[in-house]
Amino acid sequence: AADKIHLIPQDFFAELCEQIIQHLNHKIPGVNTAELCQRIQTSGVEINIGDLAKIANILSFLFSTAARNNLSTEELVTTLGSATSTLPKHAVQVIRHVWNEQGKAIAVSEDGRNIVTVGQFVDMKWKLGVAMSSDTCRSLKYPYVTVTLTVADPSGQITDKSFEMTIPQFKNFFRQFKEMASVLETV
Amino acid sequence: MAALRDGDFGALQILLKAPSKDAVRQLCQESFSSPPAALGPLAQRSCSGLAVSAEEAEQLVSALHNLTRHVVYRGLTRAEDILRLFPENFHQNLKNLLTKIILENISAWRNEAQASQISLPRLVDMDWRVDIKTSSDSIVRMAVPTCLLQLKIQEDAALCGNNPVVSALTVELSKETLETMLEGLGRIRDQLSAVANK
Repeated sequence: AADKIHLIPQDFFAELCEQIIQHLNHKIPGVNTAELCQRIQTSGVEINIGDLAKIANILSFLFSTAARNNLSTEELVTTLGSATSTLPKHAVQVIRHVWNEQGKAIAVSEDGRNIVTVGQFVDMKWKLGVAMSSDTCRSLKYPYVTVTLTVADPSGQITDKSFEMTIPQFKNFFRQFKEMASVLETV
Repeated sequence: MAALRDGDFGALQILLKAPSKDAVRQLCQESFSSPPAALGPLAQRSCSGLAVSAEEAEQLVSALHNLTRHVVYRGLTRAEDILRLFPENFHQNLKNLLTKIILENISAWRNEAQASQISLPRLVDMDWRVDIKTSSDSIVRMAVPTCLLQLKIQEDAALCGNNPVVSALTVELSKETLETMLEGLGRIRDQLSAVANK
């Protein structure tokens, strides 16, 4: 996938690096690869989301390793080493620039947020609906709740997961969350 | 969507050859639950038990499927409404038996229809755990409570046939994100009460 980097126009590549750094700095919960991919495709570039995700992972690993080892900009560029010959010039420039501006600010935070082993919950969107009719029942009147969870996976990429619940399921769902909250209070 | 056809009632009279009322009951249930594509195999399985030809079995199973699904679609719940579906000259006892069987099964069938309608993936299970993070490679001592939630989500049953795909989504929530979640859920609950009171 690294060879697909040359497909990404410079300004989008810069935006991707920016998002990655901001994620590593805990300023944003994750990198919105899906949204970025769509905008890149709209601009006429043929890249698929799988490749973009791989590139984001590579860059994330690069920046986080550099942060852990306190690399200066020159050291980072040197580490890129042989890769710099295959990376397009504009990409190396962007990496150098982004690291220079914000790389040193990636601090190891003191609150345990950077121990990421599972997806991190970002947001929940919901909808309460009533199915009026279907091909099996002309008069259904079946209420249901649709929920979309926005989750940042361990690599920092944001995905949405949608599902439906019946009303009894929703009531149980709500009850479980209240349980969790009260346990969190007492722990 | 199954609609009642002219030949259906004629085909239903093949049930007069059935060995017992239970056999009729069983066939009704299987014909309702079976999707159109599986009616052929069902007919083949049934023809020996009913002592009818393969062709008769197919017509019968198809007619039962159409009749039962039609009743569920229209939401008929009263005996007179169901009896009215049958033509004048239809065998009286068979008509009464079929109506009785349908009434016995109607609410289970309605639930089945609701459960199998097209939908987004469904939540099938939910497990959670509260942990305290005490230490990590970057921080020696801390006491950060955190929630781990695992949701099991089943993809649309209609798309997966007999092998529903269940995926697990594991998510971590902090106190703050849990509050956000609770707030959202509280609003859904309020909406539900508002709608229920209308």
